[in-house]
Amino acid sequence: MPKYGMVIDLQKCVGCGACAIACKTENNTQDRADGQRFNWADFVYKEEGKFPNVKFAAMPVLCNHCTDAPCVKACPVKPKAMFKTPDGITMHNDERCIGCQRCQKACPYSSTDVDKDKAAYSVLSFNAHGGTTHPFYKDEKELIKDCTASGAQVAKVAGDMPPHRTLYKHPEYESVRRSGITEKCIFCEHRVKNGEQPYCVVSCPAKARIFGDLSDPGSDVSKALKAHNSVQLKNNKGELLKAGEKGTKPNVYYIRSYKAEAKKV
Amino acid sequence: MELKRRDFLKAGVAAGTALAVSGPSLNAFAKGHEHAAKGAMATEAGNWVPSTCQGCTAWCPVEFFVQKGRVVKVRGNQLSKANNGYCCPRGHIMLQQVYDPDRIKVPMKRTNPEKGRGIDPKFVPITWDEALDTIADKMVALRKAGEPEKLMYMRGRYSPISTELLYGTLPKIYGTPNYFSHSAICAEAEKMGPGYTQGFFGYRDYDMAKTNCLVIWGTDPLSSNRQVPNAINKFGDIFDRGTVIAVDPRLSASAAKANEWLPIKPGEDGALAAAIAHVIMTEGMWSKEFVGDFKDGKNLFKSGAAVDESSFAEKQTHGVVKWWNIELKDKTPKWASKITLIPEKQIVRVARIMGKAGSACAVYMGPGVAMTPRGTYASMAVYALNGILGSVETEGGVFQSSGVPVEKFSKPDKFIDEVAKKHGHGKKIDGRGAKDMPAMMGAKPGSGVVTNNVANGMLKDPNAIKIFLSTWSNFVFSCTGAQRWEKAMAKVPFFVHMVTNASEMTQYADIVLPATFAPAEKLSIITNMANLHGHMSIQQPVIKPLWQTKAEETEVMWLLAEKLKAKGFANLYDYYASFEDPETKKKPTNAAEFCEITAKIASQKVWNGKEKMKGDQVAGWEDFKKKGIYNSETYAYKKNWGKFKTETKKFEFYSETMKKALAEHAKKHNTSIDDILSASGYEAKGELAFVPHYESPKRHGDAKEYPFTFIDHKSRLNREGRSQNAPWYQEFKKVDIGDVSWDDVVKINPGDAKKLGIKNGDTVRLTSTTGSITTKVRLWEGVRPGTVAKCYGQGHWAYGRVAAKDYAKAEPRGGNNNELLVDDYDRLSGSTARNGGFTGVKIEKA
Repeated sequence: MPKYGMVIDLQKCVGCGACAIACKTENNTQDRADGQRFNWADFVYKEEGKFPNVKFAAMPVLCNHCTDAPCVKACPVKPKAMFKTPDGITMHNDERCIGCQRCQKACPYSSTDVDKDKAAYSVLSFNAHGGTTHPFYKDEKELIKDCTASGAQVAKVAGDMPPHRTLYKHPEYESVRRSGITEKCIFCEHRVKNGEQPYCVVSCPAKARIFGDLSDPGSDVSKALKAHNSVQLKNNKGELLKAGEKGTKPNVYYIRSYKAEAKKV
Repeated sequence: MELKRRDFLKAGVAAGTALAVSGPSLNAFAKGHEHAAKGAMATEAGNWVPSTCQGCTAWCPVEFFVQKGRVVKVRGNQLSKANNGYCCPRGHIMLQQVYDPDRIKVPMKRTNPEKGRGIDPKFVPITWDEALDTIADKMVALRKAGEPEKLMYMRGRYSPISTELLYGTLPKIYGTPNYFSHSAICAEAEKMGPGYTQGFFGYRDYDMAKTNCLVIWGTDPLSSNRQVPNAINKFGDIFDRGTVIAVDPRLSASAAKANEWLPIKPGEDGALAAAIAHVIMTEGMWSKEFVGDFKDGKNLFKSGAAVDESSFAEKQTHGVVKWWNIELKDKTPKWASKITLIPEKQIVRVARIMGKAGSACAVYMGPGVAMTPRGTYASMAVYALNGILGSVETEGGVFQSSGVPVEKFSKPDKFIDEVAKKHGHGKKIDGRGAKDMPAMMGAKPGSGVVTNNVANGMLKDPNAIKIFLSTWSNFVFSCTGAQRWEKAMAKVPFFVHMVTNASEMTQYADIVLPATFAPAEKLSIITNMANLHGHMSIQQPVIKPLWQTKAEETEVMWLLAEKLKAKGFANLYDYYASFEDPETKKKPTNAAEFCEITAKIASQKVWNGKEKMKGDQVAGWEDFKKKGIYNSETYAYKKNWGKFKTETKKFEFYSETMKKALAEHAKKHNTSIDDILSASGYEAKGELAFVPHYESPKRHGDAKEYPFTFIDHKSRLNREGRSQNAPWYQEFKKVDIGDVSWDDVVKINPGDAKKLGIKNGDTVRLTSTTGSITTKVRLWEGVRPGTVAKCYGQGHWAYGRVAAKDYAKAEPRGGNNNELLVDDYDRLSGSTARNGGFTGVKIEKA
């Protein structure tokens, strides 16, 4: 059985945002609302120093697909709505989910309200009970009556919600989630199972993301981890696990440095 | 896992989809690579269909993933050498532009004659027929009145091919000299550096896969400037081979990663360039292969000492010793450090790194250097570094653009009548060629467009323009001194705007025609280059448009020509109808045929097999539409050595080309070159005018009243000011480093903020000599005390529900930089100034 993981090369990453927006197109995540971000791929930024000795770094973030996933432990449903697949993906079943948000509270990389928490991001987002997903495309307001469109009209004429919805099928997951449940990155399992890479990986113009089998020493992820020192995130405030600190055993690793140092001449 | 009820349902839907895809309905639009659904979990069936993104000036060949007639994903064209198969973040945002709820669905007309910001035009829907009848009636009447020159056309974003059918045709056949491109508000002054040294008035390319030292100067290639996906793709690997140096007054995305950041005082680029050249020369690190050497091999370039010209034997260059004697000999790093505020040590260190990398050091110069009131000379000074390093067309160096074979349309000459001949060559209202506006693009005085000066021309003579047509433009928002455009537009008696969204400029329109969103809905041919390859790519309707939109440069022009013919002016129609399909020889009988025939004519050389192409092999028109791209051969190193298009055919450190052009302009105005330069606001006198040199920056607003120097920069998510209505733009605004999602901020050094009593997140009013805007504050160490930086893009008071805070009330989200920036020019090129710290601002808590 493979054990899937990701390595992000920060020397190659330029923080452009292509991965995060591409993820929204692949997974049809909605716009932020009420402290929920719905960005399965997002960023943490670090700023240090004073002008002109400023150090800035961007870190792309996503679900760490932890080996000791607290979200799975916290899920009260039987069988669990949040569970680990045999190949290490932290998977979520959207039919069994009861929307209790215990996973969101348990996950060190998530917040039930990102704004209140002053967190950089949240791996898990919650579609409010009784709410409507993608309200942007349900709004019937026309800015110029009979001349310009409305969100609802676009969705109707295009024929789906959201109108740019990418259709994929997955036994655990709808390509657009219903209200009253949490949602998160699933490592694009619908792609991976067909021999494709997750969409954030293929969309990275810098080729900064490496995805593969951590249990295979010949895989690109294993090779990258062997060639370079790596770090893992500790939480959604951007702190890192210290050497020897296991945390929840995240399976997303970061190698090399975002910023280059001045060279001696 | 047990299979659930819904899985059976989903499997059924997927099977249905696969059938639909192989059927004729989708193929009617475009063919692509089929992606078959398989297994219990998979992407459902769809096609990757090629087209071209025009979200920035890279004009990237891309592919849209189409499922059930909807565009759902975007990627770079997998065959593209310019972008290596990737699009940048902008590409993905196209989906939200296609499905923008505020797209204009139908032609509309104004019912409120009063025009102004915040005044509801009271648009009502009309038919295409009524809209075009109204326009044609006005045009025929103006011609009958004997003043066709009072029709003006201005283009915004365009197809480099289809533009010939509107911009290149309509004014000539109708009879007006007043047609203007948006070009000069973008980065045109950049072209002056390579133009007056190397004879190449164009945008450069870079061998980023091989460069050992990339010097990014006044631009941020990871965010903008003509090859974003390629720059992103190659950037990280440069650190393994060499060094990245960023010269920028603010911490840009590139500077944040670079080995060296030189936060130069805005506008002092010419001084830094001169000092770097000074070090390279005095330390003997110039390229002996490109520049040559002292005859006796001994370096005579010593600080402060003039050199005998005859002691040096030049190879591919002209006037290196003259340049040294006239400009460089006293431009020491110590001198430059006082002016630029870059430490002397860093200047010397950087110069040595550059010198060591030699011909594999690419100096990537951008608009920050050039788009300033005296930018031509700074552009020359920075670009000339490539000359002394010998990195022109070398491995790891700087290149001219790569081209592709385009078949030109037949000339419209025989359709130009006496009226058009008489009225079509008068004075243009952009003021080019005036004594104080040499506009010497391409070494031809009076040839460069002065886009932003059009508003001044309109204000000076409100009767000059009676009919104004414009496409994919928003000058009321995108030009500095934007308020002038509001005033000028309010006085235009009849304005027709062809656009996708009701923008700021649209608020002044009498007729609005809904344009296609070009990358997904328009058939056209696009050409561009990057990564040492030229490309021709198709832009095509990958989906059926949702609304009654039409392609403005082709379909609309055909329909308008039909209307003009019906009203007695047939020349435009007769010209268009004379085109013929290169394969079937059939002539167009309707707008759709005209559209396809013109695309085929322009692109035919790459696919008709008559001549063996040096790049990709394309088997025919259908194959071209399927692949979506032709890549040229790889640029050959040193291709133009010995045959640069300068007066001497050499790389001119002493620009004979500039001397000749200035002399021609001075002669036209019966005066001296010194007088021309002084009238145009430059400092140079005598021989200095012909060499790359330092000119002090011009600043509007005295330092006491307007103590902060304003820095304008570009967003990596800006699709030329059109993407702000996309929620994804707002959500990821934070990828512009220092910026904040769903907001607009001015970045202020924390030390300055403390003195002003301003905290992070406060709202402030910025005021320049031109105007005021209100915006939030972000404390940011990435700007020098005394300077403030703000990204261009936000501040829309129209465009849509997301872009504007309140569209109905014309309330902006944030503030538009162009309402602060002063209307000024680099007059040698005609370019609009927007960089170089030329605008001072004061900051008040709001």
